[in-house]
Amino acid sequence: MTRPSAGDATRGEKIVYFIAIAGLLGAIAFPFTAPSGFWLRTFTFVFMAAILAQGWNFIGGYTGYASFGNVAFFGLGAYVTGILMTKAHFDFLPSMAAGGIFCAIFAGLIGLPLLRLKGHYFAVATLGVAVAVREIVSGWDSLTGGGIGLNLPINPDPNSFRQIYFFMLAALTLSILVTYLLARSKIGYAWIAIRENEYAARAVGINTTLYKTLAFALTGLFIGLAGGIYAYYNTTIAPDSLFDITAYTANPILIVIIGGGGTVLGPVIGAFVFQILSTYLSFQFPGLQFTFLGLAMILVIIFMPQGALEYLTGRRVFGLAALLQAPRENRA
Amino acid sequence: MNPVQFAQTLINGLMLGGTFALVGLGFSIVWGIMNLINIAHGEFIMLGAYTTYFLYTFFGIDPFLTIPLSMAALFALGYLIERGVLTWVIRAPLLVKFLITFGLSILLENLALQVFSGDYRSVTTAYSGIGLEIGGVKIASVRLAALLISILLVYLFHLFLTRTRIGNAIRATGMDLDAARLTGVKIAPTFALTYGLSAALAGAAGSLISMTFPITPSIGSGYTIYAFLICVLGGLGSVPGALVGGIVLALLQVFAGFFAPGFKDAIGFTVLVLVLIVRPEGLIGKPFYSGSEQ
Repeated sequence: MTRPSAGDATRGEKIVYFIAIAGLLGAIAFPFTAPSGFWLRTFTFVFMAAILAQGWNFIGGYTGYASFGNVAFFGLGAYVTGILMTKAHFDFLPSMAAGGIFCAIFAGLIGLPLLRLKGHYFAVATLGVAVAVREIVSGWDSLTGGGIGLNLPINPDPNSFRQIYFFMLAALTLSILVTYLLARSKIGYAWIAIRENEYAARAVGINTTLYKTLAFALTGLFIGLAGGIYAYYNTTIAPDSLFDITAYTANPILIVIIGGGGTVLGPVIGAFVFQILSTYLSFQFPGLQFTFLGLAMILVIIFMPQGALEYLTGRRVFGLAALLQAPRENRA
Repeated sequence: MNPVQFAQTLINGLMLGGTFALVGLGFSIVWGIMNLINIAHGEFIMLGAYTTYFLYTFFGIDPFLTIPLSMAALFALGYLIERGVLTWVIRAPLLVKFLITFGLSILLENLALQVFSGDYRSVTTAYSGIGLEIGGVKIASVRLAALLISILLVYLFHLFLTRTRIGNAIRATGMDLDAARLTGVKIAPTFALTYGLSAALAGAAGSLISMTFPITPSIGSGYTIYAFLICVLGGLGSVPGALVGGIVLALLQVFAGFFAPGFKDAIGFTVLVLVLIVRPEGLIGKPFYSGSEQ
């Protein structure tokens, strides 16, 4: 993750953006081709995985702080949405927006003290926040329904899956757009400077606390939005399934690793590869998909610690030598 | 809370603290020496617990006598995992090492789920219910024995690290990898040995846990998180620190469980975050191998 961001778009980048826009138009047209419900849901979950990865990308990919607490934003976004819809009888969209904003503010508030920690300590502390939030949510019976959770109002739209698909797509597009615009602004450069050398960044006058907190708040915002949409899709929210650390913290990080951190489209590409593959595996080998996931994680990380995209595009050696390059460099 | 309840809770906390010290010690050593957060630590504990369960259920071996066997089995497993997998990423960035142990943890948990099934199991011996009673305070004999065994193992490990040549080599590697190599320490086998010993301690902790708590293949991640807490509370890579951290966490848990059941982990983690912010080196720790940055 040591790639500087480019200033003006090169020709190669223009091609990438052309493909991205074509992909977006294709994604908008896709539900009108009368796909099966299976594919509609599969792509909805691809988009959700991409939002979670894109969310982690702000704090982990660009700023270099490996947060392991993102599952807290997902769960809180879902719960704020659910509570506003069931207890205050708000409509879905304002509830979802409130969930995202709540998570952004929450991330900013916990970020102020936690972002002073570095490396392992930050990872552990954010994981700790996630576990504490889950406990509080499952303990606060009167508001959250405790361990049983809440039942949201059923989506009245006859094409409800299509509607959820578009909500996810819209949130994903927004997250990509924000990443794209910020990555080439002063803010993006500040993040990368912090990631590469925080002391030097501070020495040249970057307000590191401000930019780190901003990155974490954006992480909270988008993951909170995804949580809200997921709550409306699933209609039942319960602490154990929403605060699943493997699904909503570990997998998004793996997706960013596969696609390449600190890039605009890497997390999206990683999400496609990961989500399609894991959906396939869970159908082909039901019950064994997590065993494969663990194995895949280990192999990807040993052989392609810089991300599969970087492995395929940035290598200077080929064949077996390329495969063995990373383990050779990193061994004891 | 009357005095008897207070004394009972205190005693329960102290007895649990011994096992927690063992839970945290192996994790702390791997973190301190190898600069590696081993998310799979809890799965080693789970495997240790199953070793005791199967040896007791199928061969009738007394659970306490299975502890050396479970330590030996887990040592072998840990040694092989380090030689086969972790050695290839040991110089990689922090996140890469963090994630690879996450992968290991998912793999071990799901393999265990396939092999052992998700059923809850427990080890109940003829003497499980026996205990002493002093002035209304009950002390379960199994838990008392677990405390004594934990203290013994922590002490033996401390002696090993400080009094033997290999122990010194391990500590030297943790302090400065390149300097240790220059003085003739072979790094790869030392790391494998460290990781194997950590797994062996986790195995012993698992054996003790199987005697007091029900076990399933998914108990691992909870213990990994406890290991974090213990390590942060006591200080990184410190043997006495693990003992202090284990007892502090256990006391926090039992008292939180008394006053606010359902929030005991929330309280534990709030304390963790506060300690991290105020005193990142732990309550009694000193910056050992403060390799938190890479």
